[in-house]
Amino acid sequence: MVNPSLLVGVPLALAFSIPLFGLISKKIEKYIPIIALLINVIISLILIPQVLKKPIVVSIGGWSPPFCINLVVGPLGIFFVTLISSIGLLVSIYAATYIKEEPTEKYHMLFLLLIVGATGIVLTGDIFNLFVFFEILCISSYALVAYNKDKEGTEAAMKYLIQGSVGSSFVLIGIALLYGLFGTLNMADIANKISLANSTFLFISLAFLITGFGIEAAMFPLNAWLPDAHSSAPSPISAILSGIAIKTGVYGVARMVYTIFNAEGILTFIAFLGLLTLLIGEMSAFRQDDIKRLLAYSSIGQIGLIIFALGIATSLGIFASLFQIVSHALAKALLFLAAGYMIYRIGSKSITSLYGLGKKMPITSFAFAIGSFSLIGLPPFAGFISKLLIVYAAIQVKKPIFIVFIVVALIATVIEAGYFFKIVQNLYFRESKNIEKITETSGYILAPIIILAILIIAIGIHPQFITGLLKGAANELLERAGYIGWVLGGS
Amino acid sequence: MSLIYNWMYYIASGGLILIGLYIVLVKTNLIKIVIGLDFIDTGVNILLICIGYIRGKTAPIFSKPEITSTNVVDPVPQALVLTAIVIGVAILALALSIGIKVYQHNQTLNVNKIKGLKW
Amino acid sequence: MRKIISIIILVIIGVGFIFAFSQIPFGKDKINVANYYIEKGIKQTGAVNIVTSVVLNYRGIDTLGEITVLFIAAIGLGAVLFVERKIQKNIADNKKDKTKRASLILRTGSRLLFPLILLFGSYIFVHGHLTPGGGFQGGAVVASGFLLMYLAFPKQSINKKSSSVAESLSGLIFVGIGLLGLVFSGYFLTNFLPKGVPNTIFSAGIIPVIYIAIGFKVGFELTGIIDDLLERSK
Repeated sequence: MVNPSLLVGVPLALAFSIPLFGLISKKIEKYIPIIALLINVIISLILIPQVLKKPIVVSIGGWSPPFCINLVVGPLGIFFVTLISSIGLLVSIYAATYIKEEPTEKYHMLFLLLIVGATGIVLTGDIFNLFVFFEILCISSYALVAYNKDKEGTEAAMKYLIQGSVGSSFVLIGIALLYGLFGTLNMADIANKISLANSTFLFISLAFLITGFGIEAAMFPLNAWLPDAHSSAPSPISAILSGIAIKTGVYGVARMVYTIFNAEGILTFIAFLGLLTLLIGEMSAFRQDDIKRLLAYSSIGQIGLIIFALGIATSLGIFASLFQIVSHALAKALLFLAAGYMIYRIGSKSITSLYGLGKKMPITSFAFAIGSFSLIGLPPFAGFISKLLIVYAAIQVKKPIFIVFIVVALIATVIEAGYFFKIVQNLYFRESKNIEKITETSGYILAPIIILAILIIAIGIHPQFITGLLKGAANELLERAGYIGWVLGGS
Repeated sequence: MSLIYNWMYYIASGGLILIGLYIVLVKTNLIKIVIGLDFIDTGVNILLICIGYIRGKTAPIFSKPEITSTNVVDPVPQALVLTAIVIGVAILALALSIGIKVYQHNQTLNVNKIKGLKW
Repeated sequence: MRKIISIIILVIIGVGFIFAFSQIPFGKDKINVANYYIEKGIKQTGAVNIVTSVVLNYRGIDTLGEITVLFIAAIGLGAVLFVERKIQKNIADNKKDKTKRASLILRTGSRLLFPLILLFGSYIFVHGHLTPGGGFQGGAVVASGFLLMYLAFPKQSINKKSSSVAESLSGLIFVGIGLLGLVFSGYFLTNFLPKGVPNTIFSAGIIPVIYIAIGFKVGFELTGIIDDLLERSK
């Protein structure tokens, strides 16, 4: 049986040792993230069958909970770890040849540490440890957004940094208030004692925590940083930020609301916020001319959909939300990687410069089309299943407000279809005169794009690959007594 | 006045957090905003330490035989503050370096004038 | 307009604070989990300083995360402020004539004080398990000694390459000890070295070893940050 602390320990050791490898040869530095993430993917795939039978609770240092920090590897945790490691692996293969701006070894160190932070967030069972790993994720993403050192990148990084660090301070205030009242930092321990506290006090500390995590999760009205940051970052980093970083913010909110605070009453408000985010994101995306900014606003819209599905507090609702997380992570990573390659070949970010690329870069354009169709929700792609599940879950609730929600969600889908079809039309059905010399060559860049497209189609046709894992994960969020039992009841 | 005496540390930390938030929200000079972030961090650290304090007890270091396990303060918030201070320093260093780059590109530190990225 | 909205937000947050703080009375005894650390701390870890045993033993992975954050900040700074080698040499050659020398008091005083500051910093991080202090505090003092030397002799600098190798090596020692704990007793970051007699310097198992590694790492890292922030571009 493999110890899950290797999921955090091994990439961390490899990240610290990249300068030492750099002493030997400069060329092997870009392969180290690939090796580390390959190990992570293998370990997480080995652990899945075991975790589905009985979740693993490992304590760090050998002390017994709640007097120690423990890693709780339940179905939700292992699902997120597999998703993070696989997308990280594909993006690191892409970035091995895409990143040419000096100093490249620092890029690879920062990238690997971002993935370590994201893995730590979803595995830990201690609330201050969650904050520390959250900070690792946030600070490496601030540095990576500014990596290109150009005018837009640094401005976007500055805005992201200011808003993100105010959010982190709010999370720390929430943690301080929780510790002041309960005297313990273990999530299961706090969840056990939560009913003994004054409900206004709990509301205030939950408000601080949701605001703090919500800034990273890009909920309305805290997402002013997202369009700038995701569009001005280097393309592999945009893929990681849209695909992984905002999902960990959503994980933070979900863990607080469901497991620790058991605050079912606030979920309708969160669903409402999700809908506002969805509408504003899609409507803003429609007006954009810059392709990366359009994809960033589309990310805001999709996160709104995920949060809305999370607010439907039924088992099917959370299952649909997790499925949407998978489909959006795969599709948005594919879109950003493909768009990045196209921008690199063409030299311009505007949509009108994509005329006629369907003939010159066939694989990339086809993959882009697959990604956008999956996001809109057409069969036979993964996005179709996830959107269908969300609508079905909302219908099942039988409150009239949710019917209004469904109508709004469908309107947003129509707007999405509008702008994505416009881009696909530009790719395939328009001609341009000055693209004679464009070709697709590099295998490192094409291989992840092809693999992501295949995964989207595979999950769309045969979702049984992941439904078992997702059902277990949804149940973990809903049944907090189970979670408390794993940690405190003597695993 | 005993009200102030009992709560003055909480008033200090809450006040620092609010002043820091005001600076971040209202001021327009980039360096002032970064200093505002530092205010918020300092306020939160003081809040954490205040929560661990117990009246009449001393530091949790058993260097003399008089210090027994019944008259020391809570050691856990002190460990949390160690980590939080270092994280605050890291954010500050990164913010200042990105600020240097922003100034090199835009020649101004006024937030209202740095508008490279629009709608 | 912006000021009015900000003041409204601040008033709401302030009211929230007032209500929340009234539930946590100041100075009352509300220790819960920490009782375990205080009572069993010396026996289980061997360190007399309970804060150190909490930081490195019971919550060791938080310290690992903290080191990673500082590492990320140092690398991020190096990446954002990176200037190409050729331009750097040009600027350095131009600058050599223009900078004034520091004053005589600063130059002489810093030559005297620098070894003493390094000694004081090392004392702090070596004795982390016996007296207040530890790796981070000692590392910061060491870095302030280097800052003094930068102020006194602005034309000299440390060797960036060996400093970054020393940083990586110290970080690797910490994670390596954690993984060794995994090999020896099945849990990450267990205390597998002998605990010794409390209140002596060779006690507390892995704690002094890790603190020395952290002290070196933080000292070199902060010095590297200062070196990056010195003006090397126009």
